[in-house]
Amino acid sequence: MSRTRRRWTQLRAGALDTFFSVATGVVYVFLLAPIVIVVVYSFDRSSTGFIWTGFSTHWYRTLFHDGQMWQALRVSLVVGAAAATCATVLGTMSAYAMARRRFRGRALFNALLLMPLVVPEIVLAVAFLVFLVRVRAPLGYFSLICGHILVVLPFTTLIMVAATSGLHRDLEEAAADLGASPRQVVIRVIVPLLLPAMFASFVLAFLFSFDDIVMSTFVNGVGTTTLPLLVYSMLKLGVSPEVNALGTLLVAVTLVLLLTTGVRQATVMLKRG
Amino acid sequence: MAKHFRLLAIAGVLLVGLVALLAACGSSNGGSSGSSSTAPKQLHIYAWSGEIPASTVSAFEKATGIKTTVDTFDSNETMVSKLQSGATGYDLVEPSQYAVQELAQLNLIVALDKSKLTNFSNLMPMFQNVIYDPGDKYSVPWIWGTTGLAYNDKYIKGPVTSWKALWDPAYKGHILMLDNMLAAYIAAFQVNGYNFNSTDKAQIAKASQSLMQQRPLLMGYNATNFAQLLSQGQCWICEAWNSNITPVAASNKHIHYVLPKEGGSFWTDGFVLLKSAKNVDAAYQFINYLLDPAVAAAASNEAHFATANEAALPQIKASIRNDPTVYTPLSELKHATVFLNPTAQTALLQADWTKLRAQ
Repeated sequence: MSRTRRRWTQLRAGALDTFFSVATGVVYVFLLAPIVIVVVYSFDRSSTGFIWTGFSTHWYRTLFHDGQMWQALRVSLVVGAAAATCATVLGTMSAYAMARRRFRGRALFNALLLMPLVVPEIVLAVAFLVFLVRVRAPLGYFSLICGHILVVLPFTTLIMVAATSGLHRDLEEAAADLGASPRQVVIRVIVPLLLPAMFASFVLAFLFSFDDIVMSTFVNGVGTTTLPLLVYSMLKLGVSPEVNALGTLLVAVTLVLLLTTGVRQATVMLKRG
Repeated sequence: MAKHFRLLAIAGVLLVGLVALLAACGSSNGGSSGSSSTAPKQLHIYAWSGEIPASTVSAFEKATGIKTTVDTFDSNETMVSKLQSGATGYDLVEPSQYAVQELAQLNLIVALDKSKLTNFSNLMPMFQNVIYDPGDKYSVPWIWGTTGLAYNDKYIKGPVTSWKALWDPAYKGHILMLDNMLAAYIAAFQVNGYNFNSTDKAQIAKASQSLMQQRPLLMGYNATNFAQLLSQGQCWICEAWNSNITPVAASNKHIHYVLPKEGGSFWTDGFVLLKSAKNVDAAYQFINYLLDPAVAAAASNEAHFATANEAALPQIKASIRNDPTVYTPLSELKHATVFLNPTAQTALLQADWTKLRAQ
């Protein structure tokens, strides 16, 4: 290759590098800017939320005394954790069954599991509420968790179907050959292999459940207003920066969790060399 | 064991399901039988967020020992759909005026026993016999407000007095209308000189046509943060509910709220008793407690809204009493009215509104 050609290729590669760096930077700004604004305005003295008037921790003090907010947060966390756990377990079992056995109605089963993705959530929510009323189930944590499982199950199933498709049958057969009972095969071979995917589906399910408004509106009961529902209903009188304060605290907790797991991962990898 | 695996699996699933169902039904049965005899009294309210201050609720709990929960909803439509689908557990609900009629027609609420509301006469005379609920048969008004115009005088000079300002081409791209069918049609009917309770097909068509003509001039339809957009200056003039304007008018002196000369509308949020309510006595105690002048005044001072309680007025802070975004002078309310039959009106207007919003 001639010198000029080489130079031109190098320049092009350099330009592409710069382009991708800039594009990545823009995407980061686009994604993080709203969060930064939420955090910044949680320290704003006034309640307008867009004109800076001075530093103050007033909204954090208000938040600390707002029992309704903490109750709503508690409800959201409990429902999210429970729904995500159940959905992950059910999703894993369904995905594994569909991957390993060819039972009658497998296609229909798959379609039913994915149907909540296609049906508009409000239709699902109202229909589920009518069903709950018919069977005289009380509205509260139970109905909320069931409703959230319904909404979140397709996502966990999809993730676990992808994970189980990469699960080699040979590994299970080898374990059985080496003397593992079916239960041991599950506990010591299958679950550890699927664990990363199960964790991912748990996190995704939790996030979807935490954000959910439509299903929560219809199937929640007395004393079980979830956090997004409470914030959304505050829109009529104007959302106060108290919500910003809560948002900042949630971001801080998430960051701490991510950093600790990240640090742990890094030390594990370093130890492995 | 492996031979009967399938049978065992099915049996296992059925057992888990049965246990869950029993646990769910058992908790509801146990709960209801307990509350009638020795369990502490409870009250469950379903209301707009922020309209019953937490301090008022805890004061009530302390005074009566009744454990009270307040759950919130974001719109009347959501609340009505939920109750219509059969959701139970709530005793008191706080609907807006047009939702009271809808709930009554759906047979979800009961007529109130006024003998249990000794403080009822504290209400302003116009709220003791409201036009949308004659004789206050079903509802007790708690707070009220108006639907009118709000504008930013940094961009719009001179006092604005008419709905026509929302159709002014000089403000193109800076006008907001409320994203609420009934609210938008209030403006559309009145700007043509009609009463918005009209069921005349020609008048409805003319009102819909006005909205269509207005569409290219609009910045959008917004029922959530229009007050902030107005204060920021992206919007110059909008149709508004006064309660949303109050907080921004306090910090931005350029914001003004007026009731247009064509009349505008007024809204009330009040309490109704559900037919499926379990804690009827506690419910009446709560309504009666809110009708006490001192309680109503304290709540109004804390949350900055206009109370329907006349006896409470002397105790309202002067800054709130004289705030035009909170208390519209009663003289201006002469031509303001409400929807008398929202269910029927909705059926007539829905098709045009859907067409308008679908564009």
